[in-house]
Amino acid sequence: MHKRLSAGDRAFHTVNYFVFAVIALLCIFPFYYLFINTISNNDLSSRGLITFFPREIHFSNYAQVLHIPGFGHAGLVSLGRTVIGTALTVGGAAFLGFLFTKQEMWGRKFWYRFIIVTMYFNAGIIPWYVTMLNLNLTNNFLAYILPAIVSPFFVILVKTFVESLPAALQESAQIDGAGYWTIFTRIVFPLITPILATIAIFSAVGQWNSFTDTLFLMTDQNLYTLQFVLYKYMNEASSLAAIVRNSSGGQGLDLANLQTPTSIRTTVSMIVVFPILLVYPYFQRFFVKGILIGAVKG
Amino acid sequence: MHNSIQAQAGVKTDAGKRQPFHIKGKYALFLMALPFLALVFVFSYLPLYGWIYAFYNFRPGIPLAVSDFVGLQWFKSIFSNPTQTGEVLRVMRNTVAMSSLGIAASVLPVVFAIFLSEMRSARFKKTVQIVTTLPNFISWVLVYSFAFMLFAVDNGLVNQILIKLGFIDAGINFLASDSHTWLKMALWDLWKGLGWGAILYMAAIAGIDQELYEAAKVDGASRFRSIWHITVPGIMPTYFVLLLLTIANFINNGLEQYFVFQNAINKDQIEVLDLYVYNVGLLGSNFSFATAVSMLKSFISVGLLFFANSLSKIVRGESII
Amino acid sequence: MAMIRKKAIIVAAASILLLGVTACSGGNNGGNAGNKGNAEGNAGSTNANAPADSGQREPYKIEVLSQLANFAGEQGGWYGKIIKDKFGLEANITAPNLAGGAAKFATLMASGDLGDLVIFGNDGQEYRDAIKAGLLLDWTKDGLLEKYGKDILANVPEAIEKNKKNFGEGAAVYGIGHDASNMPPGPSEGNTMTYQLDMRWDLYQKLGSPKLTKMEDILPLLKQMQELEPKSDSGRPTYGFSMWADWDGNYMTLAKQFATMHGYDIGDGFNQGSLLEIAAHEDKYQGILDENSYYLRTLKLYYDANQMGLMDPDSLTQKFDDVVNKFKDGQVLFSWFPWLDSSYNIPEHTDAGKGFQMVGFEEQKIYSYGFSPYGSNRIWAIGAKAKNPERILEYINWLYTPEGMMATANGPEGLTWEMKDGKAVLTDFGKQALKDNSVQVPEEFGGGTYKDGGPKFNNSTLKPSSINPNTNEPYDWNMWTSVLQDNPNPVDKSWREATGALTPKDLLVKNGQIALNTPISTTEAPAVMDSMLSQKLSQVGAIIKEQSWKMVFAKNDAEYDKLKNEMIEKAKGLGYDEIIDWQVEQTEKVFALRNK
Repeated sequence: MHKRLSAGDRAFHTVNYFVFAVIALLCIFPFYYLFINTISNNDLSSRGLITFFPREIHFSNYAQVLHIPGFGHAGLVSLGRTVIGTALTVGGAAFLGFLFTKQEMWGRKFWYRFIIVTMYFNAGIIPWYVTMLNLNLTNNFLAYILPAIVSPFFVILVKTFVESLPAALQESAQIDGAGYWTIFTRIVFPLITPILATIAIFSAVGQWNSFTDTLFLMTDQNLYTLQFVLYKYMNEASSLAAIVRNSSGGQGLDLANLQTPTSIRTTVSMIVVFPILLVYPYFQRFFVKGILIGAVKG
Repeated sequence: MHNSIQAQAGVKTDAGKRQPFHIKGKYALFLMALPFLALVFVFSYLPLYGWIYAFYNFRPGIPLAVSDFVGLQWFKSIFSNPTQTGEVLRVMRNTVAMSSLGIAASVLPVVFAIFLSEMRSARFKKTVQIVTTLPNFISWVLVYSFAFMLFAVDNGLVNQILIKLGFIDAGINFLASDSHTWLKMALWDLWKGLGWGAILYMAAIAGIDQELYEAAKVDGASRFRSIWHITVPGIMPTYFVLLLLTIANFINNGLEQYFVFQNAINKDQIEVLDLYVYNVGLLGSNFSFATAVSMLKSFISVGLLFFANSLSKIVRGESII
Repeated sequence: MAMIRKKAIIVAAASILLLGVTACSGGNNGGNAGNKGNAEGNAGSTNANAPADSGQREPYKIEVLSQLANFAGEQGGWYGKIIKDKFGLEANITAPNLAGGAAKFATLMASGDLGDLVIFGNDGQEYRDAIKAGLLLDWTKDGLLEKYGKDILANVPEAIEKNKKNFGEGAAVYGIGHDASNMPPGPSEGNTMTYQLDMRWDLYQKLGSPKLTKMEDILPLLKQMQELEPKSDSGRPTYGFSMWADWDGNYMTLAKQFATMHGYDIGDGFNQGSLLEIAAHEDKYQGILDENSYYLRTLKLYYDANQMGLMDPDSLTQKFDDVVNKFKDGQVLFSWFPWLDSSYNIPEHTDAGKGFQMVGFEEQKIYSYGFSPYGSNRIWAIGAKAKNPERILEYINWLYTPEGMMATANGPEGLTWEMKDGKAVLTDFGKQALKDNSVQVPEEFGGGTYKDGGPKFNNSTLKPSSINPNTNEPYDWNMWTSVLQDNPNPVDKSWREATGALTPKDLLVKNGQIALNTPISTTEAPAVMDSMLSQKLSQVGAIIKEQSWKMVFAKNDAEYDKLKNEMIEKAKGLGYDEIIDWQVEQTEKVFALRNK
């Protein structure tokens, strides 16, 4: 580690830094651009006059979103489904993925495929809705959680990951007489944290961003999620076209006074991304450092 | 590398001791999985009864008993006349092209993850990782307004700069152009998904036993040798699984990206199957037709899944699912 | 590439979303002065249901499904207070338009309960499905209509009759259409028409107000205007036309506008429309791809405009919102719609004498939808499972009275308007609030901003331009003489001086340049295509849209002709003629009824 870098290494790092810096810049600029537009004078931004620096800075776009009725409560619901849903998804994927690595399971291949193929099924919105209705999962918080427990994609990821671990670890435990549950909790679980962290991120982002289930299943405002509330708010602004069409002739319609949908849409996406950015670095530590099998063995 | 470890482990196993464990485990394992299988059945298989709508003139709310049974009408309607067949072929060409580009681009997140993991500064690594996932969170609608701001003829940043630098006299209409549409779409998709897609491979790299690197170093292996002999084999299982799933999704390109970017000029190239179905079918909220299409797509996807799996069995000697 | 699962979800979600965007392309023959824009979800909008003095009626919470609403949630504010005080109603609105679109409506249909008050965007398939599925209440049951709908029966009996004949097999009444009116036949629009030929009035005058004979004459004029004012407020190039494609249905929407200036519309105002241009004032029709159609003539006009440098090159790729911003900035010189003018006609411009106004041309015959005693196609209905249907009907009934109309269209009496010498006039507060909707409403009238407190169901009842018997003036405040004569801006003043008319509609009526559609009554329900034919329609439509836009931006005449022939050939290959035949059959029936 403390050896001096060779010339080749130095060249490697220079190129590497440069390329990644360019990629990072390409990714951050649009985001930056959208952000400065939300804090600049709305009129200037709607005319496309903001490009590199914010002008006439204000935060009323954000203030307005934060004042949407029910914002706080919806935030709690979102938080709830994200935490509980993610925990169950990760747990479910981890356990099920582990089970499917066991050759001796009865009908293993069949049941594994039974789950995998559902990724490609799409029955359509109506049968799905009717199923949920019959299961009493409308206006029910469980509708956010139960369908998420088994997620085929995550099950595959865990299974693949477990299979790439040295088999010796589990086998020696089996010989010692440990049951499946013990092997899972004591040996496998600690070793698969990188993939579980990944799944947690994917699942949390999915839960946090999801709003179609609220849209179709919930009429009780106490179960509205933040994304749904924001989505409605955003569309109220964006349905300019719909307003105009619905009031043909558009009498009295004052287009000059209507707020530009883009500023609202952008503000909302900023607000939604913010918590994700806060949580993400926490999960990162699970996969930036490699695991040390030796340490677990010892 | 880990083959040798497995081989070692195999030597250690005592066949006599393993047998009873096996039998006991056979059903125990199944029973442990059963609750999960039940959930899958309820949430993914039960709603499939709705596929029957594809054979009716179905209107929501009206019982099937009083709806017209139309047999395969909706399936046939996809190829009902020569002009339409031509349209479908054009759409399939786009679908194949975009999916192929997607598959070709699927190695890039791998490369991205490998090289990023070679970075020495942990802070730089983390920052790049966070920043490159940002585009994933911007909706396609917003991506388009950003693209419009960059590439508009009238006031687009790019055109303004090009005109100022004297490269061109009049604005170029980048967005309304039918050249390189596939490539442009692939690039937008890559920009949006690269960092996010690399997360999985970062995790896979983190799962590689650090001892292997230490050992390689002791043997005097160069950086690229250890990448090639340790990192790459370490993430290949993940890559192949994802590749398999991507292949199964060959005809499902999604809709949103192509929808926001489509216009009359690039439509010939941009209209993938999902967009076409939306453009011609769902506009009238025809649920039967939509069901027929999604049914077909399900079958094709599952077919592709098993096809790719057998291919893997032949080529790589192991099946993935 | 990694987010495979996510992609699948996105496909599902996006198709739902997109359905929402396009869900509302039904008939357009209405006008609604009540609830307009609601872009801001401002702070303080929910302190509405203050229980102040609503002790008279037991509160009744109703679920409202409105296919027209652009707001979802509790109806609050001043309008919420009126219906709470008067009827004890507390309305919770579901708006598929806002979220979920046709799919949301479909799931509600599947659940067997659409809600208590149901508002349909048109009387097409969904309304009929709801009747067929038994989800709507028959108003004649238990004599509900006679008992609680007296004013409807007195004011617009034909509207009830129409619904009975068309949808209730001559016996049952499942709903009532909007924009009904007991006025004699005449143009039903407000001060301006739905479609007009508007331009920058100040530039037009500077160029000596040249006379325009036919629609093509606008091109040289716009070229002169562009030379006169080559730059907008922020120094950007100006264009004659700046267009958008995101409203297109089965054809290029903006290519229909010149047809409506010749008395033709796509659709007959009764049956589902498709690809046939149908005249209001004579028994004529033509397919949009016929050699002499206004549609093709308009495409040629746009093509020529592009050749002359009058067409915004971003027209293909920008969205409607971008165009509004360009109007605001003064980049555009021509407008098809009077309401679009308002984005430029802000005091900052009009005080300087700059603004849009109607210019018109000699051959024009502006399409007018006309007063109809039968009402139009947006439906008020009551859910079959409503607990107290009579209380909902009572409310609908009130909406069809002068009192209900005045309150819904113009705000609470005493706040925004008051009676003076037998006429309604705006109060000072009203002058402010009706023009700038973000004004705060006093707490005793419900609080919140005026806009947030407005009626959110977004359907109308009587035509707002019809005469209120109590004031002998239209219901719509925009049309009151006191408002029209109150301090017009310099642009309007100059226009009035030049034309000698008070409003564009007056001028067109005076010049006989209106094509008046005649409402019809029949026992048959409006015709709707079967799903196979609608599918063909959307396939043909996709081709027509694509080729039309390409034609506008064709490089030369040869390419234009090639694209045109391709469009016609492909459209016919996909079943264009079948659609036209279907439509002609319906239209012939309508013509026969019109002439009765």
